[in-house]
Amino acid sequence: MLRFVLPALVLAGPARAAMSRGFNQLFDAVVRIDVREVAFEDGARRLSASIGSGVIFSKDGLILTNAHVANPRAVELSVTLASLERVSAHLVGWDHWTDLAVLQIDLAEVKRRGLKFTHADFGNSDDLYVGETVYAVGTPFGLTRTATRGIISNNRRYFEDNHGVNGYETGAFNTWLQTDAAINPGNSGGPLVTEDGKVIGISSRGYLGANNLGFAIPASTARRVADGLVRSGSITRSYIGLVPRALQDFENFYSLALNTGMLIDNVDRGSPADRAGLRGGDILLAINGQKVDGRFPEQLPPIQNQIASVPVGTSLKLTVKRGASVADYSVVTEQLESRVGEEWVLEKWGLSVRKVTRTFARDNQLDDANGVQVIGVQPGFPADVAGLSRGDIITKINREPIPDLKTVQRAHATYVAKPQPVLVEALRNREVSLYILKP
Amino acid sequence: MKLRLLGFFLLAVLTGRSADLPVLWAERVKTVVAVEYYTETETDRRPSVCYGTVIDHSGTIILPPVAVNTRATPSQLKEFKVYLPGSSQSVPGVYLGQDSLTGWHFVRADKALWPDLVPITTYAAKTAGEPALAQDVWGIGLRNKDEDFAPYLLASRVALIQSLPQRTAIALHEVAGPGLPVFNLAGEFVGLAASSFGQSFVQFTRTDRGGSPVILVNVEESSAFQLASEVLPYLGRVPANYFGRPLAWLGASGLQPVDPDVAKFLKLDGQSAVVVSEVLEGSPAEKSGMKARDVLLAVDKVPLPRLKPDRVVVGYLEREVARRSPGQTMNITVLRGETRLELPVVLGEEPRLTTEADRKYYDRIGLTAREFVYGDAIGLRVKTTNLTGVIAHFVKPNSPAAIAGLRTDDWIKEIDGVEVRTFADAARKLDEVEADQQRAELVLLVGRGNETALLRVKLK
Repeated sequence: MLRFVLPALVLAGPARAAMSRGFNQLFDAVVRIDVREVAFEDGARRLSASIGSGVIFSKDGLILTNAHVANPRAVELSVTLASLERVSAHLVGWDHWTDLAVLQIDLAEVKRRGLKFTHADFGNSDDLYVGETVYAVGTPFGLTRTATRGIISNNRRYFEDNHGVNGYETGAFNTWLQTDAAINPGNSGGPLVTEDGKVIGISSRGYLGANNLGFAIPASTARRVADGLVRSGSITRSYIGLVPRALQDFENFYSLALNTGMLIDNVDRGSPADRAGLRGGDILLAINGQKVDGRFPEQLPPIQNQIASVPVGTSLKLTVKRGASVADYSVVTEQLESRVGEEWVLEKWGLSVRKVTRTFARDNQLDDANGVQVIGVQPGFPADVAGLSRGDIITKINREPIPDLKTVQRAHATYVAKPQPVLVEALRNREVSLYILKP
Repeated sequence: MKLRLLGFFLLAVLTGRSADLPVLWAERVKTVVAVEYYTETETDRRPSVCYGTVIDHSGTIILPPVAVNTRATPSQLKEFKVYLPGSSQSVPGVYLGQDSLTGWHFVRADKALWPDLVPITTYAAKTAGEPALAQDVWGIGLRNKDEDFAPYLLASRVALIQSLPQRTAIALHEVAGPGLPVFNLAGEFVGLAASSFGQSFVQFTRTDRGGSPVILVNVEESSAFQLASEVLPYLGRVPANYFGRPLAWLGASGLQPVDPDVAKFLKLDGQSAVVVSEVLEGSPAEKSGMKARDVLLAVDKVPLPRLKPDRVVVGYLEREVARRSPGQTMNITVLRGETRLELPVVLGEEPRLTTEADRKYYDRIGLTAREFVYGDAIGLRVKTTNLTGVIAHFVKPNSPAAIAGLRTDDWIKEIDGVEVRTFADAARKLDEVEADQQRAELVLLVGRGNETALLRVKLK
């Protein structure tokens, strides 16, 4: 017992010195990020501004932040360094599933202006224990370079949110670090660090109205995703269409051995798993012969990540229990896609649209992924006058199907060049109606 | 001079004719009755009161479509009682069913009442024709049960006549109780009061000084009535069964009208059209080659009329189907892309309705299981050739089923891990569960919208 206490006491002295050195370095690597982004709401193009945080993690000026801070909607990104100098940056890549994005500082500008910055080092987020002291550093409510202190409240928190990152899905493939270090709006994208200044997480969100319930993406996930984003600008994942659920107290009902199985709550219609014959109520016992343990919610993201991590087009052997029988199913993965498609505004029509994706089409039981969803109309403009409204799905324009956003943009450009009535076919609650966009 | 003449004329009409009104009233009040019945659901029993018009000498009464909640099944409707206006005494009635074309519910009063009833046909006009605008009309209203359904006079003038798609007159103000007849000053039957139209008002309150829009509907009296020409020809449609079968079936669903702009774009002059959203699996429409997104233009070469508002043309087309019988051919002209096609559709018999489906209530679980029918498959977008599982038609609040998260209209696919193939399967299984007092739980696999979920119903 003493032997444990002693080294700790001995360490207490140097730990303080180490902390100030490491922490200072970290503090100098934290940046404020100012974003101007475009939104295609209400049939018009609108710009808005927001503030977030980030941390420089490489010599060549790569910055980790949240996907909900910096994403392809950003038209202008500027970074405020510890020296209070502002430089511009560009988006390297983003991944809403883990709420992470990577930016890079404009190095030419840094060189030209003779600016300096340091970068932070990662710690090991897998070694964290509940109760360990951590600090969140960032720009809460625009208060640049603010540090707050707390402990790790839970090191494997599970939550999935279908609209968490600006309407995009998040949280299916990673667990979160929960901390009581104060995390406020503006902290987003800033680092969560240990006392020695090592980055063990990226602060991402808090419960509004709750006291000190903050969440961060663990560094282990952040490093992996950042690597992928730097390499190819995006993360490609595999998808088979299982919606998992923790087995919890269903073990007896399914007469399962201990520590085995994940409940399949739902199988997305038309997905690879559906086509392979899996269905809701099945129990997944093993993937490629490797046992699956999904009794508790926090065990689900690693299982989902295991499936997501194989190359697209891989054939997985799923061992599944249904009733008393156990059988193997082989399922070929396809590429994971968001429900949320690319957005655009057709200004002369006063119409904002979002491309229908395969996932959206499945969710909404559409025949295929042709078409665009109306996300806003501007009062008094042709789309509004014709009777189109938010939520409608435009399936054809002048009798032509809409496989991509370009088709709509082209039709709009033709209209702008020579305004003539346009025939629009749209779905509303599965009902087909025709509309005329009139000059 | 002119004004004076008009005044004299009006006076003549009112004084000259209204002298007869008490006499006309006393005779015509015998054409109306009040009907009371109970709707028995799983957990309660509620009385309803509605008004009806007598149509023949054997005590047959028609009630307006809204007299019965559409979710109620005929087996839930109990204890029909028929009251004469102003009377607290009733005789039993028998519910005969609903006609699909007119939507009327038919009830037959006990023989004891027949001598006191006069069919509305007695007062049919000698000559056909519609009432003129501004013509005086009057009708009968009935007070509530606590006032012995006392009859009272309502009078108004015809303000407007529209095709909705039935020829419907709108009076200046309330002219009769819904389902009760309207007469002209000569005492001729001119129409049957429909359910009333909503009127928009802006409501100001102490707290809301800006005013908020509200729509008010007078449920006791109506200012709209369907003309006699929309009533008299259909009085013979006494249903042979509760559901008014045979029911003609086309199987084109989600019919959406086109607006005048679209009609013009499609080069349809002076007519209307409807877009078909879905052609149902195995339906006569599908067999005829009709496709989703076809634009229907004409029935038996008669172009769909331009009715106002646009929506009304859908009702017109639905009536064209409903007035025909299964087996009859309906020639439909459609526009597909830019080509016109003639599709002869042999109408079929409507698949089993939700209201016809088998069902059983399990009080301990807190669930009414209902047979999965064709319409459920359509609603859920699954193949109609394989109707399996049952529907949770009713989930009792705070029951074990409700606590487990089961909701009305959930599709129960498996019970205790065993697939439910038929209603009989499910009923057998649920009977067993309900009877077994030792049983602690029940696991249901349910479909809801596009997803499934496993629910654990704790019985103890």
